[in-house]
Amino acid sequence: MTLQDIKPGQVCVITEIRCDNLRKRIIDMGLTTGTTVAVKKLAPLGDPMEIIVRGYLLTLRKTEARHIEVVRKEAGA
Amino acid sequence: MSEAQKKPSAKPSFHDHETIGAQKRHGRVGCVDCVEPAVEHGESHGHGNGRRRRFAAADGKAAIQIALVGNPNSGKTTLFNGLTGSNQYVGNWPGVTVEKKAGKVSIGDIDAEVTDLPGIYSLSTISLEEEITVDFIAARKMNLIVNIVDASNLERNLFLTFQLLDARVPVIIALNCMDIVEKRMDRLDIAKLEQRLGVPVVPITASKRSGLGELIRRIGTYAWAVPEPRALYSPSIEALIERFAAVTGDRLTAVRCIEDGEKAIAKTVLSDTRKERLTALLDEARNASTIDFDMVIPNDRYDQIIAIVGDTMKKADVTKLTSTDRIDRVLTHRFFGIPLFLIIMFTVFWLAFGPLGTAVTDGFVFLVNLLFGLVANGINALGMAPWVTSLVNNAVFGGLAAVLGFLPQLAILFLFLSVLEDTGYMARAAFIMDRALRKFGLSGKSFIPMLLGFGCSVPAMAATRTLDQAEDRKITTMIIPFVSCGAKAPIYGVIAGALFAASAYYVVFSMYLLGILVALFSAVLFKKTVLKSASANYLMELPEYRMPTMKNTFLHTWERVKGFVVKAGTVLLGAFIVIWFLSYFGTVDGVFRLLAAEEIEHSLLGAIGKAILPLFRPIGFTDWRATVAVLTGFVAKESVVGTLGILYGVAGDAVVNGALLYPAIRAAFTPLQAYSFMAFALLSAPCIAALAAMKKELGAWKWFLFILAYEMAVAYLVSLAIYQIGSLGSGGIFTALFLIGAAFIVFGTIRGAIRRKGSCASCYGCSASGACEDERRQ
Repeated sequence: MTLQDIKPGQVCVITEIRCDNLRKRIIDMGLTTGTTVAVKKLAPLGDPMEIIVRGYLLTLRKTEARHIEVVRKEAGA
Repeated sequence: MSEAQKKPSAKPSFHDHETIGAQKRHGRVGCVDCVEPAVEHGESHGHGNGRRRRFAAADGKAAIQIALVGNPNSGKTTLFNGLTGSNQYVGNWPGVTVEKKAGKVSIGDIDAEVTDLPGIYSLSTISLEEEITVDFIAARKMNLIVNIVDASNLERNLFLTFQLLDARVPVIIALNCMDIVEKRMDRLDIAKLEQRLGVPVVPITASKRSGLGELIRRIGTYAWAVPEPRALYSPSIEALIERFAAVTGDRLTAVRCIEDGEKAIAKTVLSDTRKERLTALLDEARNASTIDFDMVIPNDRYDQIIAIVGDTMKKADVTKLTSTDRIDRVLTHRFFGIPLFLIIMFTVFWLAFGPLGTAVTDGFVFLVNLLFGLVANGINALGMAPWVTSLVNNAVFGGLAAVLGFLPQLAILFLFLSVLEDTGYMARAAFIMDRALRKFGLSGKSFIPMLLGFGCSVPAMAATRTLDQAEDRKITTMIIPFVSCGAKAPIYGVIAGALFAASAYYVVFSMYLLGILVALFSAVLFKKTVLKSASANYLMELPEYRMPTMKNTFLHTWERVKGFVVKAGTVLLGAFIVIWFLSYFGTVDGVFRLLAAEEIEHSLLGAIGKAILPLFRPIGFTDWRATVAVLTGFVAKESVVGTLGILYGVAGDAVVNGALLYPAIRAAFTPLQAYSFMAFALLSAPCIAALAAMKKELGAWKWFLFILAYEMAVAYLVSLAIYQIGSLGSGGIFTALFLIGAAFIVFGTIRGAIRRKGSCASCYGCSASGACEDERRQ
């Protein structure tokens, strides 16, 4: 399962960053393995997606989200 | 890339030469004679103690260099303005500061030079303006780093703080946005944070200037403290860093090499044998690592940060909706987001160029005319040489009045763009527009520069530096001139007002639309042909919404308006004088002399305009005055209207007002010719100032000349199409529309067919070549 598959309102935990594009930047922005990420919403045109990570709002495209492996986590858990 | 990267350091900001000079004198940074300027000079040269003596400047006062470093949009420039009392440009979207700026502040017996650096998230950079900051830190150009940390976003901000602490230079943390923390009812234990990080932490709210006094006091007492070495990471990571540091001789370089790998090793100034040893160490560490090696340090760093934040910060109820959430619920709403975006843009437009703008303009023009009229009367009464009177009335007042008349509209436009920027909406606009812009090979981030382009191309081109890749920056820079800038508005205003009275508004709007369409078309064309490697990346933080302060908004607007006025007063005045000379002097009956207004046909300018007119005839220019006006547009777009005024002899009245040009324009142009004229003025090469900015951003002459030729060709072809197709009459227009529609359908079918065959070419950033089913069909 990748971050792209997570629906708005759902929460997940990152298990692996596979993307080559922007890889270093994604990690430095706080998307590291074990980080909890909440998907907040999709842009009106369906892409990019807005996520809450480490308490701030980050927007990224699905082309990158597709390469971020995650596992679902129940909200509030 | 490399050439462009070097530029900021090669061409320093206005204070920089002094800085370098001072550093050399005091032997602080350069250590020019060192074979290995490996960064940690302090220890190796025994500079560790008694620093204060070395800072002594000639006047007996101590002088230090302070660098403001922090995440994008964390408030560095606001703090900079607060510290130095300067009026630098502040906005609320990541990446407002694209060049370093320096200012001075006196702290007790110390003279400090403060440098405001572009924001960075990490010392591993990807964009050009971030490189400026990292180079600055790596070269140790400062005695003290003031690290601005956004307290409302502590975890991610401390990531950079940790990297700065690796550098082992004195760091003071200015904990900004305390007001947001207080509003959220979070509790932060400053003393504990100070103790955990081992550096002073000063809570401030830069926008309200609170805490600045304490910050300055702490800077004064701390500037020459020597940071004691301390373990920042877990023992295994520290051991790894030790091994690298044994080769690099410096902790910062060691950490950079582990984090950034070969790229960082190549950037070091170490000998080849040391580089080889580092590469070997790196391979060894990679093999030994059980997790993804790129994450080893970031993971550990974040672990340490989480521990510190957990220890020092008590968060209030996290499930409560913040005001940003509430605003975003509406503004980036799934269905209402785009309509609202369009409404906001349209409203700004309407306010600037609609009834409000017109009303303000009328009042302003009345005042300007009153003033110029008085002065002109005075000059006439003095009875000076006829050419002096002519120069003053026709060139200086005539030209300036025509330009200044459009100032109110520009000011309104700038004012609203500033509000959008300061609140944080611009970042949302990029978020909303990304998907649409990606189709044209652009990123949502290109949206901000393009939008600024509606004001003026010059700041717009500077803003392209926030884009991550050189190719993306090039594409955006090259299409910005097609976006209709504020200075082109007067042209449409006068011409559409004269010829399309009832539907003038739609005609003007169609010009803006034409500019956008040509810009987007060009972006696609560049991406498919000359700049195939552009990736148009997108990864952006959405800042919290902020209430724009009156001071900042007006400062913003004022800066931009001032830029326009200064340009009008200098470059344009020069241009008007040249045009006046060319148009009021000429040879009549073999005598070269000052001409009367009605003899303008015999002028030098008339001769030039007539000579090149045949070239412009196919695009509908039948009057040499139109040709001349367009020519003067290359000097500055603002002068097109002024020139028309001079050429049609209305400016000399000193009672200048766009409407005075209407009869002359009605006589000179048919609506179709006028439309073609506007299109040419819109699309052809921008003004001199914009060309200079473009050259600066593109770097190479090759690109500059290419885009110049491209713009002229596009302007000519589009005007040609408009005039020729328009001349066919309504039947011809429908035929043309039908043909264009048919061409699109054929193109779409062919494109679809190619795609179905399974070409993978359009997948960007796809590492799995050939196996990208999910990408293609989503």
